[in-house]
Amino acid sequence: MKKIILFILLILTSSVTMAESYFCKKELEVLPTLQGGRVKPLYVHAAEAMKSLTGKISVNDLGPVEAFCLISLNGMGLPTEIKLEARIDHVDLMKFLNLSKDQHSILYEELIAKEDAIKNEARSIKDNASYKKAIGKLYDNLFLYKEIKSGENWLFPTVKNGALEWLPLVAFLTEEKVIAQKQLTPMDPFLPILLNTKTVYDQFSGSEKYELELYYAKAGLASWALTLTILALATMVLFKNFNIALGLASISALVQLILIALRVIISGRAPITNMYETVLFSGFGSLTLALVLGHLKKEKLFVYMGLGYNVCTLMMLNFANGMLTATISPLVPVLRDNFWLSTHVTTVILSYGALALSWILANTVLFKRKWGKITKKEELNFADIIYTTLKWGTTMLAGGVILGGVWADYSWGRFWGWDPKETWSLIVLCTYMAILHGRYTTWIKTDRFITITAGAFMSVMMAWFGVNYILATGLHSYGFSEGGAIFLGSFFLMQIIVLIITSVKSDNINDQGIDQQA
Amino acid sequence: MNLFKKIDWLKIEKFIGSLKFAVIVISLFTIGMIIGTFLESYFGTDFANRAVYKTTAFMFVQFGILLSIIFAAILRLPPKKRLYGFYTIHSGLLIIGMGSLITYVAGVDGQITLAPNEPNRQVILSKDIIKITYPTEGKQIVSYLPYSAFESSINETYDNITVKNYIPFAEGRFVWSDSINKYSDENPVHSSKYHFKNAFAEQDLILSLHPEAGSDFQSSTTMGPLTFTYYPYKLAKCFAQNNPSKIIIWNSETAECFTPEEKNIPVKITGANNRFVVLPYNKTFITFFPDYSPFPMNTKLQTDEKSIIRAFSKKLFEDKPNLFLFGKKAAWFDKGLSKWVVSDLEVGGNPAKLPWMNAEISLTDHQDHLVPFNIPIPTIPIQKNGNLIKGDIRAVQLEILGKEYWVTNYSPLSLLVRGKKIIIEVTKESLTLPFELALTQFKMDKDPGTNNPASYESFVKLFSDGKTTNHHVFMNNPMKKSGFTFYQASYSQDNQGQYNTTLAVNVDQGRTWKYLGSLMLVFGAIWHYNLNSKTKDQDKNKKTGKLA
Repeated sequence: MKKIILFILLILTSSVTMAESYFCKKELEVLPTLQGGRVKPLYVHAAEAMKSLTGKISVNDLGPVEAFCLISLNGMGLPTEIKLEARIDHVDLMKFLNLSKDQHSILYEELIAKEDAIKNEARSIKDNASYKKAIGKLYDNLFLYKEIKSGENWLFPTVKNGALEWLPLVAFLTEEKVIAQKQLTPMDPFLPILLNTKTVYDQFSGSEKYELELYYAKAGLASWALTLTILALATMVLFKNFNIALGLASISALVQLILIALRVIISGRAPITNMYETVLFSGFGSLTLALVLGHLKKEKLFVYMGLGYNVCTLMMLNFANGMLTATISPLVPVLRDNFWLSTHVTTVILSYGALALSWILANTVLFKRKWGKITKKEELNFADIIYTTLKWGTTMLAGGVILGGVWADYSWGRFWGWDPKETWSLIVLCTYMAILHGRYTTWIKTDRFITITAGAFMSVMMAWFGVNYILATGLHSYGFSEGGAIFLGSFFLMQIIVLIITSVKSDNINDQGIDQQA
Repeated sequence: MNLFKKIDWLKIEKFIGSLKFAVIVISLFTIGMIIGTFLESYFGTDFANRAVYKTTAFMFVQFGILLSIIFAAILRLPPKKRLYGFYTIHSGLLIIGMGSLITYVAGVDGQITLAPNEPNRQVILSKDIIKITYPTEGKQIVSYLPYSAFESSINETYDNITVKNYIPFAEGRFVWSDSINKYSDENPVHSSKYHFKNAFAEQDLILSLHPEAGSDFQSSTTMGPLTFTYYPYKLAKCFAQNNPSKIIIWNSETAECFTPEEKNIPVKITGANNRFVVLPYNKTFITFFPDYSPFPMNTKLQTDEKSIIRAFSKKLFEDKPNLFLFGKKAAWFDKGLSKWVVSDLEVGGNPAKLPWMNAEISLTDHQDHLVPFNIPIPTIPIQKNGNLIKGDIRAVQLEILGKEYWVTNYSPLSLLVRGKKIIIEVTKESLTLPFELALTQFKMDKDPGTNNPASYESFVKLFSDGKTTNHHVFMNNPMKKSGFTFYQASYSQDNQGQYNTTLAVNVDQGRTWKYLGSLMLVFGAIWHYNLNSKTKDQDKNKKTGKLA
């Protein structure tokens, strides 16, 4: 092994043209690699790894693939200049690593020296859950960094005895291969060997589908959709140009549809298997539903509601990276049923989207009532629109809950098992059924109905996020990730504050609404 | 009769069918569920079921919802076209309720665990029972224990046995208790409590030779690479002799021991260089190959594992860290000194320094006759990652002939009452299947290049009416037989590394009703909310909504 490394080192360092980046070129982006149970382009894996290690995709001026490749070369005994820094934000972790107040990063090379201490610290923490999580994540990252640095993380496909095998860089790049290739391309024997693995894999698998993920990762569709939706909302609310807003909203919905479709093609399953995808789908679903309802009922306000909620979901997709990860991962065994996944989960998530529309409008009315101007007649009209979305949301939710029961019966042998996720979906259903009954029989008056609807969405958030981030037990907790509890706590707090402030009697409702309209 | 007449039934009907009543029961139901999910999160599924979901009060609330649904529909008769969707929803809900009731009363919901090639037909159900068996008479008494979350008093007597209390969630608190049976001084039944400490860990360990000590207190244990073995105190003197053969001969009943050197018994070597000892015993000879087995071997080279005379070769325990404890003495092989060291330990005295990882051990308690026992104390359980980490003991307190006993799901009780042998167990109710199942293979696929399971699959043989059929059970692909449905539920690995599979077993006569009701509910909801062109408070002239 040492001999091979020395040989490769000799060739690498003797070549003038490769002095700095060796063979770590952008062309490597498209190479297939096996990571997290899936074959994906190297760019996607390198970007995910760099993001996890440093918080950013690129390192200094280098792209993720160049950086990943250069660090991996250490495994071949080739020291490289590139130094990665871990981002440290947790106060206790900063204290433990002896960082000053302003110092939020530390070199991975320094962390390697402290590895045993980190391991012992992680083991000894008993009560401080957030610190334990932070140090656990740091330890995982350190492990990842060491694996990349040893050349073991970068896997190459080779075909041996008719079967596909994945070899790490250090085992793949053998002396024989380099000597043979040197005959053909004396100046640069390495890059062709590496690039050839793509041909090997493509021929073996008969598909180049994984390449799609490269374009998907680079397209940044979520940012485009957010820009379009914000523009649409601004055009509608600030510039009052409905037609342009409608056009922009439709393009944004289309961009989101492409984003979802790409994920479906890449993963080969329904696009609703983790928090990132449910948020994406509910945002897209509610915008589409709003456009359809707005068209059917000839009511522009639906478009406003759809855009409002769409901004929230796209903001989360673009900025809440600690909570939602865009990584496409294989499914846990229980979810591996495309029929039920695409019926039960989509129905439930779509119902959450529909109920979110009512939440947007209810809060808007609360704000208008407190700080803007609103007539009784307007308020009644808003309440009717909210009622329409509630009817749609509740019907879909009932259908979704029942489909979930049927799926549970089909795969676990019981229709209902008081699992937290299913119980919370029933809690949401009961909450909205109570509101619908109260409203239908006019027991709940218009002003109270709007306040209650704004607050009721907290039950949806609890069923959707809270079960995974707060309760985190039971058969359904496959979407657990960090940061969610803080997000949810902040959401509840903000909503409760809004409810309290806006419930203080306001004079802005004009009983003579009709006169004012005139 | 008068009272019956006096009651204003119409008023009651109106109240139960009213919106107020509906909102009250739905709210109670919702609050119950919210509490249930939080209890489940912290204290486990079983606790939440016992404390909320399956309590009479919660069932009563659900019954209230059913009443509300029925009366709300009755009050809106005769049928009105506008309410057809409403009638469908309410009928659907009633049918679901009926289906659930059928499942509750007649359904089966249990689990069966299958080990490789071992046929099984026992399905474990969820109800707790106490089982009293009289093996000589072939008699068995089975009694249900209450399905409660907290300690409950029972006070029921069967023959001489009074079942006093049941604790569904208990944790053990250590006590020394009197032994049930008497043991002669010749038989070593002592137990000791030690405190072990090194740079990384610190732990108390209780080791016992007492036959009545439960599974919590055994005579050997391991901690990382270190093995602790607890032996009768009489054996320590033989460990202390640094005899050249390093062989000890001992009697496992009386713990008397000697070395071959003491009795001038030669240690011979076979042609294949194996050491053996021939010992005169009861007018015959027994042969030991102590480097292979502690038991004597016969002429066919078979070991006699019933023999009370045994040979121990200290040589086998010199390579790896082995600590032998004898109550107030400890012995180990010191590689540095290249000899066996025996150290004295006093209760509360100085610790003995061990030659591994700066470890030391001290004796904190020692009892010659008392039994180490974890007395069950009621507790609130704690669940972590789907398993109970506290409170997983189910315990029943009994009184037999004026004496108190505990039986738990981990330690059944076996005793003689007035000359009759009795076995008492706390277990789960079980059901015997009319056919047998055996696991032929359990397969767990992993996602390529990772350790994450991608699928769990059980290959099962079913024996019924003299016929054998093969079945393949995996997630989302159950097996059906004679009304029973078997689902892949979980798996476990035994000590030999073999995989066992657990299948959920289910019989649900209410299924069809629940499906029918569900369909009606969904269609009714679409009909009522989305297809009815006119609802009560829709205002035709409403296009006034404007944004700020």
